Amino acid sequence: MVDLVKKNKLPMSVFIVYIILFIVNGDLGKEALSNTSYYLIEMFQILPVIFMLTVAIDILIPKEWIIKRLGSRSGIVGGVLALAFGSLSAGPIYAAFPIAKMLHKKGASVSNVVIILSAWAVIKVPMLANEMKFLGSEFMLTRWLLTVVLIMAIGWIMKQAKIPISGEEDQVKKRLYVKEDYCIGCSACQKSMPQVFEMRQGKAYVIHENIEIDMTLLQKNVAKCPTKAIIMND
Amino acid sequence: MDVFTLGFWIIGGILFIIAILKGKGGAKESMKKSRGMMKNMLGDIIGIICLIGLLLTFIPPQTIKTVLGSENVFFSSLVAALIGSVTLIPAFVAFPLVGSFVDAGASIVPGVAFLTTLTMVGVVTFPLEKKEFGLKFALTRNVLSFSAAIVIAILMGVIL
Repeated sequence: MVDLVKKNKLPMSVFIVYIILFIVNGDLGKEALSNTSYYLIEMFQILPVIFMLTVAIDILIPKEWIIKRLGSRSGIVGGVLALAFGSLSAGPIYAAFPIAKMLHKKGASVSNVVIILSAWAVIKVPMLANEMKFLGSEFMLTRWLLTVVLIMAIGWIMKQAKIPISGEEDQVKKRLYVKEDYCIGCSACQKSMPQVFEMRQGKAYVIHENIEIDMTLLQKNVAKCPTKAIIMND
Repeated sequence: MDVFTLGFWIIGGILFIIAILKGKGGAKESMKKSRGMMKNMLGDIIGIICLIGLLLTFIPPQTIKTVLGSENVFFSSLVAALIGSVTLIPAFVAFPLVGSFVDAGASIVPGVAFLTTLTMVGVVTFPLEKKEFGLKFALTRNVLSFSAAIVIAILMGVIL
């Protein structure tokens, strides 16, 4: 029970606010609930698709393809692809989180993840149509152009600033990893344990840390690494 | 459901079926992984949605109207950008709202600032973004997006 509350701090606190609101002012509470229903419907319309898409991306798109097209060396082409991908989606920004995470796990760079998230939020096709209707095509096109340029710039800045992506569960799970700055790409670990290590752009990465690992062999690899770049925590 | 969401469903569904046919044994594991990831976020997403409903009750479109129509463009742009950051109102409400002001002759700068932060900056979704991508990532992205929205608004004011 305590764990459940701890894990769901945000929904729990919102729930409490609702209760207080209903006690203090029932009408306002009802209004808030009816405002909420629109977004709840939207959520149920979009989340199943997100689930299907993450599965499809996981199975259908090979890692190598994502690293090549959306990885840190994909350059401007990767940026454009990320932009197109985000623009052609549907649903609110939180729907983009699982997709972006999945793509990042498969090798998409931080800047491209930012571009996908921003494009997903701001420059969607149905929204552009709506904007043109109410504000005119000149307004829409100018804002679209400026937004695209600035989204690309944000991606670039975050890449230059070396902002990492590390979710809460990643930090807990990271018992085994390779220090990217130390790795010289000798690939000894990958040759010895291909089920654990993988070479990506000349650097070793841990692909599976939760599988049954031959611990003695792993320790040997950690010791054998010429720059001691493999880190193992218990 | 609008046409685009429907299209998204169709594309997602087709890809999903192909993935299952092609993935064989891997499909099950992949589905388990995705389900775990979604389950992890679902509580927060529902929390966020209920929070949006609350915020809309306390910051109704009328309040936004007052801000957008204010005489002081600098002040109203900043406040509009801040309101856009904390709320998440649907595009079909936001565009006509801003449109009615531009038609009435008000400056477009606050309107653009509002429209851009509305979608790009997410104060409400911040806890989830932080949980999934890390504090540094979420903070930098939102701060940069806020600044970008201001820049876009100013440039729009200069160009148009």
